[in-house]
Amino acid sequence: MENSSIEIKNLRKTYGSLTAVNDLSLNIGSGELFGLLGVNGAGKTTTIKMLSCLIKPDSGEAFLGGNSIITQSAEVKRIINLSTQETAVAPKLTVRENLEFVADIYGVPDRNAAVESVIKDFSLESVLDRKAKTLSGGWQRKVSIAMALVTSPRILFLDEPTLGLDVLARRELWTAIKALKSRMTIILTTHYLDEAEALCDRIAVMTEGCLRAVGTADELKAMAGKDDFEEAFIEIAERSKRKGAAL
Amino acid sequence: MRTIIFSKRNLKELLRDPLSYVFCLGFPIVMLLIMTIINNSIPPEANMTIFRIDNLSGGIAVFGLSFVMLFSALLLSQDRTGAFLTRLYASPMKASEFIAGYYLPILLLAAAQSVITFFASFIIAAVDGVEMSISGALLAIVSLIPTSVMFIGFGLLFGSLFNSNAAPGLCSIIISGAGVLGGIWMDVEAMGGGFRDVCMALPFYHSVRLSRNVMAGVTDNMGTDLLIILAYMAASFILSVRAFRRNMTKDIK
Ligand SMILES: Nc1ncnc2c1ncn2[C@@H]1O[C@H](COP(=O)(O)OP(=O)(O)OP(=O)(O)O)[C@@H](O)[C@H]1O
Ligand SMILES: [Mg+2]
Repeated sequence: MENSSIEIKNLRKTYGSLTAVNDLSLNIGSGELFGLLGVNGAGKTTTIKMLSCLIKPDSGEAFLGGNSIITQSAEVKRIINLSTQETAVAPKLTVRENLEFVADIYGVPDRNAAVESVIKDFSLESVLDRKAKTLSGGWQRKVSIAMALVTSPRILFLDEPTLGLDVLARRELWTAIKALKSRMTIILTTHYLDEAEALCDRIAVMTEGCLRAVGTADELKAMAGKDDFEEAFIEIAERSKRKGAAL
Repeated sequence: MRTIIFSKRNLKELLRDPLSYVFCLGFPIVMLLIMTIINNSIPPEANMTIFRIDNLSGGIAVFGLSFVMLFSALLLSQDRTGAFLTRLYASPMKASEFIAGYYLPILLLAAAQSVITFFASFIIAAVDGVEMSISGALLAIVSLIPTSVMFIGFGLLFGSLFNSNAAPGLCSIIISGAGVLGGIWMDVEAMGGGFRDVCMALPFYHSVRLSRNVMAGVTDNMGTDLLIILAYMAASFILSVRAFRRNMTKDIK
């Protein structure tokens, strides 16, 4: 397998006096499905934006598949794709046109086959010829995620992919994501702890821009001394808050 | 290649908006017809030729291009509202490909509009019994290219700087201004004074005068007109590119 690992070294991003991401260091192996958890404003989206070369870190470095996000952003952009927290579709293009458009922008070799394959994976047959803006929020989100996958990235960022999906669609997406496992490296953020537990090989918990814990769901449960993953998450998040207050 | 792919998307996006047809393509024809009717009701002894079709077509063509500015501003400001551009910023697309991808399809729309305006003028001229030269009209269409690029540049500049509510408002002010200060509805030369000075300092009247003169085969003032239009065109291009590049980082969703 090609190198699709992620090495994050002391990544830091501030907005004025607010530190959105603080000295983040993390290694993610090729083919790993990695979960990024944290309360609102913890810095998950900011981390993904830095890794996908959308914003520049104030300091620190990261290597995606061996390429620096700072000095080799063109190489990085070729091997990644993302589904942003907000749905990102071209409103007046049809679903098929949206998929073809992204595939063409990335120069996907066998474009039609790639498009057909994501149509099947995401059951988009029934909405193919509809303009994206006429779809419901959940369907737009599915299309937005399919647009990230149609380029077969080596590294995929999914920022709250199941936000706004119904239970069935969520389970369907889980199946789709599981099927991608080990074919590509995935960083996924979510507020659904059952989702993180069901899907992710390893999970990181962030609060206030800082990494508080990393490990498998079981390791995190042991770390927090809880049997339930949700309880463990709350314990880790609260513990860091208590520490912050003591300082 | 990515420029072409992005241009195609933008062209589709423009052509799927019914307002594009109404304002960019239908509006000039309607204006030509209305002004011709008005012209025909002006008594000949008034000796007023500003609304005669051979004078009118250049003015309406420039006026129509000011609507192209509005559409450029709408397209970009609406794209900036959503996360669609963020997706593309994370793709291998370069800033230059974004900019060319916006300019090219709108330029195509502008050219189509000019052609339609002059084609309709021909028909009206033939019906009205006014002489109009084909080569003159073709040259006039070519002479409007810098003006088109200028309007697109200003549209993209406003689309970069303002949101999708403010940008169209600002464009409508400029559209009205272009109509008055472009000498489309009145004879700027005859007005004189400070009004004429303002018209001369802005590009609109120069665009109108250039296209009228080119169509009539007159070379008066051609150098001045072209120079001023090209200066505004360059300024709008540079400003729009700078605004776009700056907002690329600011708009990320
Ligand atoms: N462009 C910006 N300007 C100023 N502050 C910002 C900006 N983007 C993010 N922030 C701040 O940085 C912090 C981290 O935000 P971020 O979006 O990364 O959080 P998150 O973990 O993704 O949260 P959520 O779960 O709500 O999506 C927040 O306090 C946010 O207000
Ligand atoms: Mg977020």
